[in-house]
Formats: sequence, C-alpha cells, structure tokens
Amino acid sequence: MAADKKTKTLARQLFKLSIVDGRVSADQVSGVLGWIEKHPPRHPLALLQVYQHLIATELSRSQAIISHAGPLADGVVSRIEQSMTQKYRRPITASANRDSSLLAGIRVRVGDDVYESSVAGQLAALSA
Amino acid sequence: MGNVIEQIEQQIARLSTKAVKKNTGHIRTVADGVAKIDGLSEVMYNEMVQFPGGTIGIALNLEQDEVGCVVLGDVSQLKEGDEVTTTGKLLSVPVGKGLLGRVVDALGRPVDGKGPIEAAETYPVEKIAPGIMARKSVTQPLFTGIMAIDSMIPIGRGQRELIIGDRGTGKTTICIDTIINQARINKVGIASGNKDFRPVYSIYVAVGQKQSNVVRTLSALEAAGALEFTIIVAATAADNPANQYLAPFSGAAIGEWFMENGMDALIVYDDLSKHAVAYRQISLILKRPSGREAYPGDVFYLHSRLLERAARLDGKGSLTALPVIETQAGDVSAYIPTNVISITDGQIFLETDLFNQGIRPAVSVGLSVSRVGSAAQIKVTKQVGGKLKGELAQFRELAAFAQFGSDLDAKTKATLERGARIVELFKQPQLNPLAIEVQASILWALQKGYFDSIEVKNIVQAANSFREYLTARRDSLLTLIRTKAALAPEIETDLKAAADEWKATFAAKA
Repeated sequence: MAADKKTKTLARQLFKLSIVDGRVSADQVSGVLGWIEKHPPRHPLALLQVYQHLIATELSRSQAIISHAGPLADGVVSRIEQSMTQKYRRPITASANRDSSLLAGIRVRVGDDVYESSVAGQLAALSA
Repeated sequence: MGNVIEQIEQQIARLSTKAVKKNTGHIRTVADGVAKIDGLSEVMYNEMVQFPGGTIGIALNLEQDEVGCVVLGDVSQLKEGDEVTTTGKLLSVPVGKGLLGRVVDALGRPVDGKGPIEAAETYPVEKIAPGIMARKSVTQPLFTGIMAIDSMIPIGRGQRELIIGDRGTGKTTICIDTIINQARINKVGIASGNKDFRPVYSIYVAVGQKQSNVVRTLSALEAAGALEFTIIVAATAADNPANQYLAPFSGAAIGEWFMENGMDALIVYDDLSKHAVAYRQISLILKRPSGREAYPGDVFYLHSRLLERAARLDGKGSLTALPVIETQAGDVSAYIPTNVISITDGQIFLETDLFNQGIRPAVSVGLSVSRVGSAAQIKVTKQVGGKLKGELAQFRELAAFAQFGSDLDAKTKATLERGARIVELFKQPQLNPLAIEVQASILWALQKGYFDSIEVKNIVQAANSFREYLTARRDSLLTLIRTKAALAPEIETDLKAAADEWKATFAAKA
C-alpha cells in the first residue's frame, strides 16, 4: 500500500530522531521501533516501509561498496575508504564484493554516486 | 586465435582507466509514460536522464523523496528497480540546414526513412526567450499569399499571429498555404540573384494530429515544391504525451538556429490546444495541482515562454510564429484560447458559418486583427488595401439592415454592391497562394471599379481571368510592382492599360 502524506511526514520525523551527530544511531532506531510498537499508527506497514527506506538511504551514504572483477591489491579498500571519507566529509566504511560481469577494473558506489572504472562500464558508454 | 585475443587486449588497454562519476537512481514505479525514481540526488530540473536500453527521460518533478521523469521512448522495456543515470545535459535537438526537407520527431530524430541527418550543432529545447534589448520592432512583411490576410491582417517577420477557429474551418490550410508561399517567394528571390534577398525557412510542428493528416500535409508540401524549405516536427496522436509536450519546444529550438544565424524562419504550431491537453495529462500523472478545466497552474507560462521565443532580433534574423488553436463551437472565451489570444500579436479568426457559406478562407474580418498593423505592409498593399477593412465592416453592417427593407438609397446600394464584390474577390482555393504583386493588381482593379460591371457570381472567374492575363502577358509589369513595392504613377498607367485590355477581352468572352 502506498503511504499517504501524513505517514510520510511521520516517517520523516522518526527518521530525524534516529540521527545522532549526523549518523544513524542503532539505539535511537530501536527506540523508535519500540515507540511504534507501543503506539501503533494508522498504517504501520506503510510507515515502517517509508522509515526503512529513509534509514537504508542514509546508511548507503556512509558505505562505499566496491565491486571488482579481478583480485584487489592490498590496501585498496582502506585507500578508497580514506579518499571517500575525505571527499564526502563524513566517515565512510568500505566493503568489497566480486563481480565478474565488470570484466576488469572496479566500480565504487556511495549512496547515489557511482564511480565507474570498469571495462564493462566503458564498453557500455561506447555503445551508447 | 591468439591474434584475436591480442586485439581485444589492445582494445581494453586503449580504454581510459579514469573513473567516471555518475549519479544514479532506481525506478520505483513506471506508469503512463512517467517514471518515479528513487535517488538521483544531483539531478537538475529538465535534465535528460538515461534509462536502460538507451531510452531518454526528462526530470520534471524534483521532490523530497523521489524524482518524477517523463519517458521519451518505449516504456514497455522499463521495470521496477532498473538503474537510471543523470547525463548532466539539458534536452537538445539537432539544428541547421541539414534538417530542411526532413520529417523529425520531438527529439530531432528522422522518421521519414531518408537516412541520418547531418547536423553539426544542437540547441537546447528549453531556452529563455530573447530579452528586450536584443529585439527589434516588426517592420518586414511575411506574405501568406492569402489576399484577405495580406491586405487586411498583415503579418510581419517576428510576429506571433494566432490562427483560431472550430474544427474543419481551414486553419491548417492557411498555414500550409503560407509555407507554400514562402517557398514560392524563396525560389523567385534566389533565382533573381538579389544579394539582399532573405529567404524564409518554415517549420511545421504537428502536435497530437492523426498520422494520416501529417502525411497529407507532407504530400501537399512535396507536390508544391515547398518541402526543400520546410522542416516537419511530428508528434502525432500515437506518440506519448511527453513527446507531444516537447515537440513545439523542439521546433522553436530548430527555428531559433535560423534566427540566431541571421536568417528568417516561420514556425507553425498545429495545434496548441492539443499541446495543452498533452501537458495537462503529464501534469496530472505527475500529481501536480490542477486548476481551471484541470489544466495545471502554469499552462499560461507553458505557452507564453514558447511564443516569446518568436522575435525579430537586432542585427540577426527573425522567427515568426503561427500558433493554431481549435475552439469548441466558436467559443473564443474558453481558457486556452483566451490565454493564447492574450500572448500573441493578433489573431485570424475563422468562422464555421462563413466556411459553410462557401466563403473560403473563412476569415472573420470583424474578429481578426493584427496588432502590428500596417507597419508590416509594403506601400503597394497600403495603397490598394488600406480602406478594405472599413468597407467590408460597413458592408456587413448595412447587409444586416438591408434584410429588413427594400428601399435603399444609391449610396447604400453602392456600398452593398462593392462589399459583395470584395467578399467574392477574397474567395481563394486552397494550396493556391497569390503573389503580392498579383494581389495588389487585383485589388487596384477593384478600387478602380473594373469589377463593378461584372455580376457578383462571376467575380471569382473574372479575378482568375485577370490574374492569368497578368501572369501570361504582363509579367514585366508584375516584376516591376514586386521590385518597386509601390504604385508609382507610371506603373499605375501601365496597370490601367493592362486592365483596360483585359476588361475588353473578358467582356467579349462573356
């Protein structure tokens, strides 16, 4: 079910309560979930879906997901972590996963931003 | 085999290793040609976004949680979760002379099967109209080839003249005639070798029309030899509303290229009623607040920003706009008609009653006006047609009174006789625009009473006969009228001699 305006507004308020010092706080999130359980809103499912989406979006802004085709050299993950933290001016943690469809090179995703340095990406750009 | 592998490796090595940053999002929902997208946090208003499979969209609604995009292609291939990327570019269309003679869609892609278009430049579809200082007042005429319009409601280069009327009253015909007339003038001008001659290139934008109608228009232009000076931008009824919404703006961008490069262009928007309907559809799907007749609040701005792009630029060229509006049962006071009437520099109102009476083009002289007026007329038209509108208005008034009584004084009778002849003289078959020198000669003959002794029912035949006589036997006189653009005493003497000779032969035949 699509969330109505009131549900979205409430979810945004709860989301704001879940942020401490610019980061998602696990304690605050469990507090919010407890409050929802005690005071069930009109559309709990819709509220939780919007809330989850907001939290997931916020968390993805602090995570660098590195996709790579071949083996990664030592220290690459930490170097990417450092440079992204510097670039976005917020603490960013990196995680790597293998993706053979890239053919070669790497792709880094931080929130909505994608840094494409893979052969698959460049071939796609050439064909466009 | 090893050689092939080496080739691939070399190709891979040649590819740049520099990382490219893209801003992405994912489709949340897609319906009715509109996609709601999560992410795209850096997207700009009106920016082109890339869907999978090369489909293009435009970001129109930038909301807190999502972005609303209209999809300008096949939506059937898109699904929830597909990745969408920003392009950093505003929607642009190819422009230039390479488009002449071609039929393109709202994105400037050829749809006529004549192969790719050679265009070195692209222009943004949305552009701020030229400012006050860049403009120049409208003083140069743009002849439609329709006597009723050129003599009484003159159109100038850079003007916006609305063509308004019910369905089937000949709105498109006037536009096509005007385009054909520009092509005819261009051919004569180019053949004359006159260095100061400025051809007018035409752009015909078909919005929400039946494809068969567009084909008919294309065939008419081709048959008249006008296609080589014309570009057709087609967003037919089969195209999605986003394309129909964009087509006039794409046409304006193509026209602006001619204007910016010191040339003159004419653009026909056929029609803006359907354009407003397409925009309403998009706005409602994007959940924008609706206003009167469910149109969005910015429907006035939609048309004003489009029509303001037509201008005559100081030191450059001009873009003349002929927007078309279809009324319902002659109601010019409806929402969209009043909006466009207030934006344009005049309107040509076509009446169903006149059309049904056989008066074609069915121009209502009382309701039609050109706010540029005689500033956009050449001297010869002013000389022969200056009093026509007044005479015709007097005729209409007296004709209404004359129905109630039979005893009329000589002056009233004369006015009625003259008026009836003017009405007949203005009847003109479609796809047959008249050169301005022919128009001037016929109107001069009318003013001098050469048609007074001819029965009203024979006026059309007489006018055709006079035109044929002039073109066949007095071509040098017509050329002189065209080049001098005024009736000097010696030209008038020649014209009198020609009219006398024609009258004698016409009377003998009759």
